[in-house]
Amino acid sequence: MSQKSCYHCGDDVIGKGFNLDDKAFCCNGCKSVYQLLSSNDLGTFYNLESQAGTRPKEADKHKYAFLDVADIRKKYIDFEDATSARSTLFLPQIHCSSCIYLLENLHRIDPQVKSCQVNFPKREATLIFDKEMPLSELANLLSKIGYEPNFGSREEQKKKQSRTYLYKLGVAGFAFGSIMLWTFPEYFDIAKSNPEISQFSAYLAFLVSVPVILYSASDYFISAFKALRYRSINLDVPISIGILALYAQSVFKIFAGEGTGYIDSFAGFVFFLLIGKWFQSKTYQSLSFERDYTAYFPVAVTKLEGSKEIIVEIDQVKIGDKIIIRNQEVLPCDAILLSDEIKIDYSFVTGESIPISKKKGDFIYAGGKLLGKKSELVVEKESNRSHLTQLWNEVNKEEKKKDTGKDKLSTYFLFALLTIALGAGIYWYIYDSARTTEIIVSILIVACPCALALSKPFTYGNIMRVLGRKGLYLKNNEVIEKINATTDIVFDKTGTLTTNSSNHVDFIGAPLTEEQINQVILLVNSSTHPLSKSIVRHLKDMTTPNNLELTEFQEIEGKGIEGEIMNQTVKIGTLEFWNSRVLEHWFSQRSKAPTLQSSFSSFVHSDAQPIANETASHLSINGNYLGRFVFQSEFRPGIIEVLRELAKKFTLHVLSGDKDKDKEILQKEVPELKHLLFEQSPKDKLDYIKKLQDGQRKVLMIGDGLNDAGALEVANTGIAISEDIFRFSPKSDAILEASKLYSLKNHIETAKFSQSVLKICYIFSIVYNIVGLAFAISGNLTPLVAAILMPLSSISIVLISTLLALSRK
Amino acid sequence: MGVIYLMLVVSFIIAIIFLLGFFWATKNGQFDDDYAPSVRILFEDEEIQVKNKKTESNGNRKV
Repeated sequence: MSQKSCYHCGDDVIGKGFNLDDKAFCCNGCKSVYQLLSSNDLGTFYNLESQAGTRPKEADKHKYAFLDVADIRKKYIDFEDATSARSTLFLPQIHCSSCIYLLENLHRIDPQVKSCQVNFPKREATLIFDKEMPLSELANLLSKIGYEPNFGSREEQKKKQSRTYLYKLGVAGFAFGSIMLWTFPEYFDIAKSNPEISQFSAYLAFLVSVPVILYSASDYFISAFKALRYRSINLDVPISIGILALYAQSVFKIFAGEGTGYIDSFAGFVFFLLIGKWFQSKTYQSLSFERDYTAYFPVAVTKLEGSKEIIVEIDQVKIGDKIIIRNQEVLPCDAILLSDEIKIDYSFVTGESIPISKKKGDFIYAGGKLLGKKSELVVEKESNRSHLTQLWNEVNKEEKKKDTGKDKLSTYFLFALLTIALGAGIYWYIYDSARTTEIIVSILIVACPCALALSKPFTYGNIMRVLGRKGLYLKNNEVIEKINATTDIVFDKTGTLTTNSSNHVDFIGAPLTEEQINQVILLVNSSTHPLSKSIVRHLKDMTTPNNLELTEFQEIEGKGIEGEIMNQTVKIGTLEFWNSRVLEHWFSQRSKAPTLQSSFSSFVHSDAQPIANETASHLSINGNYLGRFVFQSEFRPGIIEVLRELAKKFTLHVLSGDKDKDKEILQKEVPELKHLLFEQSPKDKLDYIKKLQDGQRKVLMIGDGLNDAGALEVANTGIAISEDIFRFSPKSDAILEASKLYSLKNHIETAKFSQSVLKICYIFSIVYNIVGLAFAISGNLTPLVAAILMPLSSISIVLISTLLALSRK
Repeated sequence: MGVIYLMLVVSFIIAIIFLLGFFWATKNGQFDDDYAPSVRILFEDEEIQVKNKKTESNGNRKV
């Protein structure tokens, strides 16, 4: 069946859809964005990239009200003058050129916005707008067109902006180019006929080399010095020795009037090293690996003072305060419910997508999202002391166990280097004592592990890019090494092995007719509720092309959805929602009928009796009860195969906060899976990993929600799995796209492949070192040889590591 | 051969100018985003057109 797709967002259009200007839309939200854009002559949005839009969420006007509180507003305004204000907002939905176009033309939609500039890699927009414009209005405008701003803490991102690498690289590049030009005559002995000119250019070369050693190369000296102070050795130690020897020798030659020495190689060497560092530092700027709990919790909350509602910052909320939480808002502190029944969605916390019911007087943990009508709560614990954040603080205090052990390779390298230098020194002292110093210096110069130092950043940098294309985003290079050392893999179950975006759906009740299916899907498609989306997925293949039209639509928070299709009222939602008369009856009968189920059974067929604790949505058309959709969490596709494959190489563990309902399935499907633990609290998970590590295991933990945050942090490698990589991932070493979990084995193999690439690079660099040493020991390392050998080795290593890493598709 | 001195100095000065240019560009954030500018350059024509349209129609804009 061919489906029309939405002109705005590209989703399937169900039924007749929403139509305007001969274009079909999947929902009213997309249609209104289109209307807004076309009425402002921004139709180009759709020409740049087709179906580039994102489906806007139904925005609650109150959602951004906190931004207008003066203290909070100040936090998000970078700069303000008499007429305008500037603010930089993180808009995770930015994804293509059409987005840039639309955002940068925002002033045409709302003249209060003066200008907007997008930073694409960071997914940020810098907006300059009228000082009088409330920040909440700006946020609402952005949400309305589908770019919901994220007001979490972005501290870490700001630090990353450092441009020092580029400055250092620029200085080194400038010196390298200039010195090469000036020393060119030396290579061909032309200089000898004009000693004055040659000396003049040597002084010039010295002049430009000073900032290179003092500024550009300073990081290497600092790092080497730090390592030596802690009595360990890293690769920067031999590099620093090499650089210093090279520089000292060259300066000596210049001032002795013996030409320019190796000053050209020196500048080139630092330049190549810095390119490596810069390449390494170009990581995923838009992703955040360091989020703590504050990024999940709202910035402000509505406090009830007497009968007055005031908005205050989270840290001003005290125990005993009454707060108000609205539909879709996240509860920032542990609290007790004062209002009637609501549902709490803990999917950020546990990965469990099915909301939990809470009654008046129930204790509610922070981190849950409220579904239902506006509710009053009384605070039991402050935000930073709540159940979840306490765990977080605890881990931070303890500090993650560091992988100890010095860089062995560097130690061997330095040892071998010193031995050779000493041996050659003794030999030359006996043979020709006048040349001893020169030979030792040239050995130190040529043995400098430049190629070795370049192979790592380039190999790992390229492998990181390859992995990024496959949906695994690493925080930095070191994570590759950590992945390679893994012996045990620990999986969280809910939200990791199972999915929290779609549920397994069963319809219980009389079979639906074709028309009814079409009606249902048309109705649920207008809702963004996760359960509605699951129903859409479930029924999608059963629909037939039709011309049904949704004439009226209403979503009642926490209850259900209701719509008018061809003069028929279709309702999906809770039992109470189905028919309030049923409810009235239930209440009147309450003394006689203790449970809803038993009173319910008198209204519908016996086979449709609901089971306690199941998650279901009830369907009725024109008031006639037809049956219910029952939701169950579902394993991610392909996950069983992944577990089987991984079990061959690693010890697997599954930890779950749930009851052991899936234990048998897992054990039957993956017999190698021996360590299955259920009903684990966040603290239990953390302790379990620590116990494994005490047994010298290297643990890779894969989890999602906030309740895994402690475990992810303590594990040697913590991989957060995320449906949307720009949102809601706890602090971790890497972020994995949920849809790419099935290729986890491939990801680990790719990381391992980097070891092979590194080995090849090491062999090459050692060969270069041996060739160089042969020149140095025999006393033939002329500046010309050095000038050829050093860039050659550097460039060939970069080429080898890049080509090999990219060969791995 | 005296001119060589001059050329050496001139080459040095030119290189310094380029280095300062690079610093300026870095400071301005030109290397922060390597994607958006490549797209942005294609928008310009249309924007001018719209402005013209606005001035021509003088408020009686037709959509």
